[in-house]
Amino acid sequence: MVNLINAPEDTSLRIVDVLGGHGVRRRLFALGFHKNDIIELDSRSILRGPILVRNLTIDTSVALGRGVARKIMVEVIGEKK
Amino acid sequence: MAKKSNFPDIIFIGQPNCGKSTLFNAIAGLKAKTSNFPGTTVQHTHSEVNIKGEVVNIIDLPGTYSLNPSDPAEKVALTHLFLEKPDLIINVVDASVLGRSLELTLELIELEYPMIVALNMVDLAERKGVEIDIEKLARTLGVPVVPTIASHGRGIKEMLDAALGTLEEGRSAARIKWSRDVEEKIEELEKQLPESFPIVANKRFTAVKMIEAGKLLFDKMLKDINPPLKMVLDKVRNDLQTMHNAPAYEVIAAERHHLALKNFEECCSVRRGKRIGFLEKVDSIIMHRLLGYLILLAVFLGFFFIIFKIGGPLEELLSGPLENLRHSLSIGLGEGVIYHLADGLLQGIGGGVAIVLPYFIPLLFLMSFLEDVGYLARAGFLMDTFMHKIGLHGKSVSPFILGFGCNVPAVVSTRILESRRDRIITSLLIPFIPCSARTTIILALVAFHLGPLWALGFYVFNILLLAVLGRVITFFFKIPSPGLILEIPSLKMPSLKNMMKKTYFQLKSFINFAWPILIAGSVVLGLFQYLNFDRFINIILSPLVEKGLGLPRELGVTLVFGFLRKELSLIMMSDALGVSIQSLMTMISKEQIIVFTVFVSFFIPCLSTVAILWKEIGRKVAFISMALNTGVAVIVSLLVRLILRK
Repeated sequence: MVNLINAPEDTSLRIVDVLGGHGVRRRLFALGFHKNDIIELDSRSILRGPILVRNLTIDTSVALGRGVARKIMVEVIGEKK
Repeated sequence: MAKKSNFPDIIFIGQPNCGKSTLFNAIAGLKAKTSNFPGTTVQHTHSEVNIKGEVVNIIDLPGTYSLNPSDPAEKVALTHLFLEKPDLIINVVDASVLGRSLELTLELIELEYPMIVALNMVDLAERKGVEIDIEKLARTLGVPVVPTIASHGRGIKEMLDAALGTLEEGRSAARIKWSRDVEEKIEELEKQLPESFPIVANKRFTAVKMIEAGKLLFDKMLKDINPPLKMVLDKVRNDLQTMHNAPAYEVIAAERHHLALKNFEECCSVRRGKRIGFLEKVDSIIMHRLLGYLILLAVFLGFFFIIFKIGGPLEELLSGPLENLRHSLSIGLGEGVIYHLADGLLQGIGGGVAIVLPYFIPLLFLMSFLEDVGYLARAGFLMDTFMHKIGLHGKSVSPFILGFGCNVPAVVSTRILESRRDRIITSLLIPFIPCSARTTIILALVAFHLGPLWALGFYVFNILLLAVLGRVITFFFKIPSPGLILEIPSLKMPSLKNMMKKTYFQLKSFINFAWPILIAGSVVLGLFQYLNFDRFINIILSPLVEKGLGLPRELGVTLVFGFLRKELSLIMMSDALGVSIQSLMTMISKEQIIVFTVFVSFFIPCLSTVAILWKEIGRKVAFISMALNTGVAVIVSLLVRLILRK
């Protein structure tokens, strides 16, 4: 299990857990980010900026601030595309 | 709440960016504001429309991802839905993101109100390789599903037929069962609900919302009014938590998520395979770690270049006749109070037309282009790093850009920010963004007399000051910003019709709100001049104006009362000094021009901004904002004067 921030890019990842306070968790759930969804880290912005995450299960992409992204724990399930 | 009109209420509700307002506009004419930046319909718009002889009251609510609101715009949607039972719900869904959109659809079905689904953007879904079996989806959901392409007006007629049909039948949506163990727990709570308990829609929906309730306030209130019920609620929540080892609200949200995915998989086939279309390639370049910023810079420079290329000449064209009109007015009416009142009125109206609109309309149009294409959300992504430095995040980009046109709509658009902390900080910073009126002043004074480089320097200085101010203000807020969660919608080809409509609607809200206040302020100032109050005020202000800022005393009124009609500070200035703007140098020096511009730019922008701050964010913040603007204007202009004196 690894933190989404440190996960490899363009590789299928499965959400294992969503940590943090219920405020952030609720907003992520509302956007359809749940445990066991398959996601992919598309890109990281420079200067510790946000990261771009594509949710392959529901085919949407979301920008997450580093603080938020750090709360999502994932495990690598696919190889690098 | 008593029903406002006796016509049936149809509400449009959907997730941000699903084309809800486009669909709404296609039916109701020019009403709602659409965009590709999540959460743009911030006020909800009503309109009575005649559909095939039947008059209905259509309400377009702000986009919401779920019925548990997180930002103020979503709260508007829910208070409307819960307080006034709609006669029909039209749930607009983005077919290209059906998997997630169905979560809100399922939540709406729980209300068991008459409802239909407008499956919008089916063309986009097809392009993404998503084939949807519409009959099957309708059977699974138990509500009519009508495919539409709002931007091309396709499917609107069929959707209206389905809407009127369901309205007449009054057939409510049927409840969809979740997994058995969760259902049992909900029933356990449902049975305990006393008759006197305030029920929203139906008992089961109320029970589910109680379990999901995130607000501590709700728990505390329930404990006070009905302790035994609170005990049952706690027991149900704990049982759910132990069964699924996750908090109860997550268990409920997960139920909807999995049910939505199951329905999606059953009713749709997706031609997988990462088809790199043209738009995806463009997207990867726009969002590129380095290239993205070059493009962003180019877009912004181009953005302002076009606005000034259109605004400048347009403004000259309009302010000419305004001057002649003013001139003929003074001949006609002489020097009496009528003249001053009429002159004040004319300058108020003229000021709006000749100075704000030439820049404001192109800015609104280009903004709607950036929004509809989806670039604004991407700018928010790219800018987030810098916004973070001043304690905010990417979502504040759109209000800041709007601020360059006019601060009033910018403050209104802060509704898309989830936390009140972000809203207050963004709203305190917006009055420091040079609106079109102040841009005119910067161009007419700094650019004209000192050259364009100085004007650009002034803008850079302005943005740096914004950053410093942001750092200082965030210092006072203990709680950190909740961090960026911003959906990046797919790139779309904007429709010209849509952009024109949005520009018109945004302009209308400026005219209805800001302009009357501007005219009133202008008339008041006209009165000042008549009662030659201005000479009296100049004397009072002379210590600050003359000694402090080293400016001629006559500029006192222009400086301080400029906020009554900022647009016309230039005209006030030339009146006060008795010389035309072009030949200003004969009266005051270059340094004085800079000090004057600095003060006018950072002082209270205008009455309308204070009024909108008061209305949108509250009285306290409005006063803090005025004090902040005054303080910064005085301090910075004093400093600038000292530096320039060497």
